[in-house]
Amino acid sequence: MILPDLASQIVYGRIGWAIVAATVVCALWRRAAPMPRATLAAIVAGALALMALPGNLSPAWYLGLAFQYPSGLLVGCCLLRLTQRWNGLRRSQAMPRTLAGVLAGAGILLYLDALGVLTSGYYYAGFGGVVAPLAAIVLAIACAAAIMLTHARGHAAAVLGAVVLFSVLRLPTGNLWDALLDPLLFGWALVALLAGARRRAGRQTSGRVPANDGEPVPGAALQPLAAEHFSSLKEQVGGQ
Amino acid sequence: MENPAITRPSRHHAILFGCLLLAVLVIAAEALRWRAAHRATATAGAVPSLTTSNPGRVTLTELSHAHIPAPRGMPSAHASTLAALPGNRMLAFWWAGSRESGPDVKVFASTWANGAWSAPSMVVSRESLGAELGFGVRRIGNPVAWTDRAGRIHLYVVATGLGGWAAARIAHLVSQDQGKHFHVRRILPTSPLFNTSALVRTAPLALSDGGWWLPVYFEIGNKYPMLMAFDADGNPTSLARIGNSTSTLQPALVAVSKHEVRAVMRDDSEQQLVQHAASVDGGATWQDLPALNLPNYSTSVAAIRLTSGQFLMLHNHVEGGASARSILRLSISNDMRTWRTIADIAKGPAGDEFSYPSMQQVGDELHITYTWQRQAIAHHRYRIQPEGTT
Repeated sequence: MILPDLASQIVYGRIGWAIVAATVVCALWRRAAPMPRATLAAIVAGALALMALPGNLSPAWYLGLAFQYPSGLLVGCCLLRLTQRWNGLRRSQAMPRTLAGVLAGAGILLYLDALGVLTSGYYYAGFGGVVAPLAAIVLAIACAAAIMLTHARGHAAAVLGAVVLFSVLRLPTGNLWDALLDPLLFGWALVALLAGARRRAGRQTSGRVPANDGEPVPGAALQPLAAEHFSSLKEQVGGQ
Repeated sequence: MENPAITRPSRHHAILFGCLLLAVLVIAAEALRWRAAHRATATAGAVPSLTTSNPGRVTLTELSHAHIPAPRGMPSAHASTLAALPGNRMLAFWWAGSRESGPDVKVFASTWANGAWSAPSMVVSRESLGAELGFGVRRIGNPVAWTDRAGRIHLYVVATGLGGWAAARIAHLVSQDQGKHFHVRRILPTSPLFNTSALVRTAPLALSDGGWWLPVYFEIGNKYPMLMAFDADGNPTSLARIGNSTSTLQPALVAVSKHEVRAVMRDDSEQQLVQHAASVDGGATWQDLPALNLPNYSTSVAAIRLTSGQFLMLHNHVEGGASARSILRLSISNDMRTWRTIADIAKGPAGDEFSYPSMQQVGDELHITYTWQRQAIAHHRYRIQPEGTT
């Protein structure tokens, strides 16, 4: 169990929340006209400046009070969304169904365990000296391979970034689970799954045959991430 | 003219190189950590520490009782904890304010030296904690203190996020100057749910390698006990759940032998008895045991192992017309199973409150503190003598 020092957590929290906040602002912009790059840059810079304000002048003061720190993967997914907006992609897939399914499934197990309904100690395993580091290495190799093979590059890069942050600096909390999942990301995954199911149901009701299971056609960098990359983490942690 | 032999590296190659670099970085970082951790575990075997002198039965004789001086303008006080200092001195910590959960609640400390308590001094407030953490703290709660082998005082303080006590986190503060000044080390990570609903109340247990176990508990809906292990430098080394119960909290840990540890706990079930769990492998795994035959109407207990080898427990007894916290009883045991009453430390009519006890053996004296009517912290001092001596 190796924990990050408080100073690095404070810096991470400010930057992380700035990226998440900028993504939320951009998401609210969705239905408006395409966002100019200058506007996007101004939103990100504004969010960073706001979060850097001292004490309770900073929104990070209140976000930290309520949620403490965003997971590395949430920050990575938000960065990916911002990058897509920067590249002019407005109607991309919010979260691939495979990734959303893995996050939702892992979250249900993890949170039931944390609430005391299960007694498997999944969260404690995230601090472990063997399983968690091995899971991080397997994930890093899997994500690097996925990126090199141009397979779900964007989300693989987000996972890889979260793993690098965990392995090198042990951010955000020293626990592998906190690097890969938090209740906000869990909620995002559930919403993505529900929205996908609703779209599919709507298309079936209207009699249309979906070309690719009813989801928007992702770009080359947005194909679903292979299930085995994430199931390996699940098996490693679940084996404790 | 462009030289066809010299071409810019393709984007693909850059991505390939970057991915390989990051994967190697992850492998190298984890390998270095694993090597360092492997060296550390090869030299340390953390089992509960047992200090025994003059084994046998003891008698307790009360020497004094008084209230610890209260901070001015703070009518509410609760949840005291004790930490040893060199020279048979002690530090007491507790929270005080206008009311429980009030925004003005702060943790105060007082030093026991030469038979008297010093004037209280403020240790931490929600403002001072928030300023060091970089994010807000809504309210301050139970403190728990520990003195490590190097003389540093470790103070664990409940600090809530958005919500009530169920949204609590545990702040870890350290003092290098025997409690005069504290700095925040970190918020301890205990839960994946925004790191909320972990609290402390009961005293840590010493380990043979200089580390200690901090009793922790979770309380959103289900309530269950945990322990976080620390090394001699005060760095957390592991976190584990105690047993499978979902209605016990505030575990008080006692070492029975180097490998056997017991936890006695506050009961939140309808059974209303002091709950009990044991580990016979040095805390690696825990088993719930049948409850002790001592009433517990959801109140905190304290337990220690005396250097004589006997066990003491402070618990709220309920009989006759007493209410849940109107009798604070001191009991003694040779086996952590059968308990004999020594004395009722405090007793009043139904509705009175004498609760949240703490105990510390300092030399041949036993010091007890507890919440007195939610208004003050009471302190009792006993002489510990081998049975048959005067």
